[in-house]
Amino acid sequence: LKRAAVCLLALSGALLSRSAVRAEDRVTIRGAYFREPSTRVIQPVVEITKDLPHGVDLNAHYLVDTITSASAAAGTSVDSIFTEIRSEVGLGIGKTWDRTRATLSYKYSAESDYWSHAGWTSLSTTFWGNTATVGAFAGLSRDTVGFNQRTPACAARTGERSCPLNSEFGGIGYTQVLSPVAVAQINVDGAYLDGFLANPYRQVAGIGYEVFPDKRFRTALSARAAYYFPAAETGLQVQYRYYRDFYPGALPTGVSADPWGLTASTVEGRIYHRLSPNLEVRFLYRQYFQQSPAFWCDVPANVGCTPMSVPVSQAYVSSDPAIGPLRTEYPEVKLIWDAASWESIPFFRWFAAGTFEISYGRYFQNNSFGDAHVLQTGYSMPY
Amino acid sequence: LLVVAALAAAGVAGCAHPPPPPVQPWQREYLARRALRFDADPLEDRFRQHWYGAREGADLGFGQPGGGCGCN
Repeated sequence: LKRAAVCLLALSGALLSRSAVRAEDRVTIRGAYFREPSTRVIQPVVEITKDLPHGVDLNAHYLVDTITSASAAAGTSVDSIFTEIRSEVGLGIGKTWDRTRATLSYKYSAESDYWSHAGWTSLSTTFWGNTATVGAFAGLSRDTVGFNQRTPACAARTGERSCPLNSEFGGIGYTQVLSPVAVAQINVDGAYLDGFLANPYRQVAGIGYEVFPDKRFRTALSARAAYYFPAAETGLQVQYRYYRDFYPGALPTGVSADPWGLTASTVEGRIYHRLSPNLEVRFLYRQYFQQSPAFWCDVPANVGCTPMSVPVSQAYVSSDPAIGPLRTEYPEVKLIWDAASWESIPFFRWFAAGTFEISYGRYFQNNSFGDAHVLQTGYSMPY
Repeated sequence: LLVVAALAAAGVAGCAHPPPPPVQPWQREYLARRALRFDADPLEDRFRQHWYGAREGADLGFGQPGGGCGCN
């Protein structure tokens, strides 16, 4: 009888989880506010997912980045207040078979001087009693970098005021459930970029506009693990990522060494704790360490550095703070609240099936961008 | 001969077959918790990746594609 009860419980659990999977008709609205000393970004986003018959599902999102001022560190000559908008729309379709899932996604992003089309596909399958998952994805993007102030060398050939940036990317991942309370994952990613990789506006003091190599191969290896302590209703996640890039293929004429070689390590830890049946808190801490690529040269900070290769007029050089020697830290606290307790309250009961979340974090950067406040909030509801 | 005998014994004992899955269906209660899911917050992940991509030199790492700038 006990065994039968366990089997019945397992079956009902499986049915419940399956119905939960099928009930993925969901709408999510979210907002993020990012504030640095001279850059503020407000990003509202809405995403809708819809389940269709035969294991097919659709998703779509729309977001707007409203940049309410520009950072001098990003290359603008005058740190004047202005409003720039980036719009992004994404569409995706997925198909799930018994243990296998395939997706196809597309994303378009547009702003006044940058346009991007990206498409990618993914395939994953589970095995070993649904405890192991192997997944892979691959895609490409076709970007156009516009120039409002000058005509760079790449655009001079075509006579247009824009340059292309193409990339192909892909990766594989493996996730393993180790026990009822432990999961681990490893990922390997890569991306090949070919085109205009610099910032169109940023200049290096005493030299002129920055010049990046025209090709870049980015690689990343990451590992994650999670463990849950049922008695304490507390979970722990840790992750590590190592990144390195290099110039793919033969070096251009006049360049004797790889101009890239940017390396970075990221460590992140998260603690989840259930404060009540409907309220959960998450603490997050992230540290990022970066060594600059060979061609990075911030003349004011490092008088001895020189542009890489000759002639100097075409040499690679950049003082972009984002690729210089860098260390960032990010502590954050987040509250996640299931609004089930609103079920008996008039009007508010319409939102009782959803989940609210709000988070605040402080992003510390040891470069000229300065530290940032990051506030995020959102609400997600099945429909 | 000893090696062959040992391998045969191991096969009889079941070692030649894959081990059973480490978690059975009725043991999955906690696996649905946010703490044990790496994809619990896809929209947050997307925002964080875009922000890190604009402020740090090392993009990629967790299976998210690029595209778009908004790098100011």
